[in-house]
Amino acid sequence: MDERIYDLIFICRPATPEEEVNKIVATLEHSTGEHGGKIEKTERWGTRRLAYRVAKHREGFFVYMVIKSTQGDLIKELERRLKVSDAVIKYQTIRLDEELKRQQKLGKHRERRASRRPRKQAPGAPPPAAPPPPQQQAPTAAAE
Amino acid sequence: MSDQPAPSAPHETHAPSPAPRSEGHTGGPPRRSEGGHGGGGGGPRREGGGSGGPGGPGGGPGGPRRGGKRQYFRKKKVCRFCVEHVDFIDYKKVDMLQPFVQERGKILPRRMTGTCSRHQRWLGEAIKRARNIALLPFATEL
Repeated sequence: MDERIYDLIFICRPATPEEEVNKIVATLEHSTGEHGGKIEKTERWGTRRLAYRVAKHREGFFVYMVIKSTQGDLIKELERRLKVSDAVIKYQTIRLDEELKRQQKLGKHRERRASRRPRKQAPGAPPPAAPPPPQQQAPTAAAE
Repeated sequence: MSDQPAPSAPHETHAPSPAPRSEGHTGGPPRRSEGGHGGGGGGPRREGGGSGGPGGPGGGPGGPRRGGKRQYFRKKKVCRFCVEHVDFIDYKKVDMLQPFVQERGKILPRRMTGTCSRHQRWLGEAIKRARNIALLPFATEL
């Protein structure tokens, strides 16, 4: 199986101490390593307002991670851990590699098109279509 | 529409011409013959306009419309993502998604925003992802 890229976001309760968050991140890193995955980056977005109430909280501490893995089991394990931990009120994992691939493909396609067909610099004036003057054919009045 | 020709037609028409027609038919048929151009002038024509005079040749609807061409100038809406060559709509960038969501949280339809179908598809997906992780509301609470 080829490598997949996942986005993982989880939200902790706003009152969670910093160490608790660090601990969760550490456990995630640990189990990622066990399954042969790799954490590309970890971002702490800090306390943000939630768009709606989650577990009676209006704010939450967001943590964002990018994970590379060849095994789908890893995601299962990470989600299980997040589900178990009390501090986490919401999490979401999204598989992104296909969309990133599509993005690269489209970008490459555009580049190729741009290089192959450089934009013509507006030639003096586009050849006018020269429409023939409309001939108003007065229909012969039958009643006259 | 045919405001210009409509009033003029009854005045110009010759008085005798409707006579032969009116024998055979009542007011209905002349109207039918001229029905091609202009519903506006129906009333006056019934009396005097039965004639095939200058006002009412069988030239079709093209003639009388000369003056009353209705023109709409609607600003052409362009897909904002196409202009910027966006290949991937990130669900994490809430500020980017915000303009495509109504105040109550609904996704705006394409006809309002001018987004092309492909980008609308991606956009919808991104908005739904953002909703799932509480970055955007499903519906604002009262």
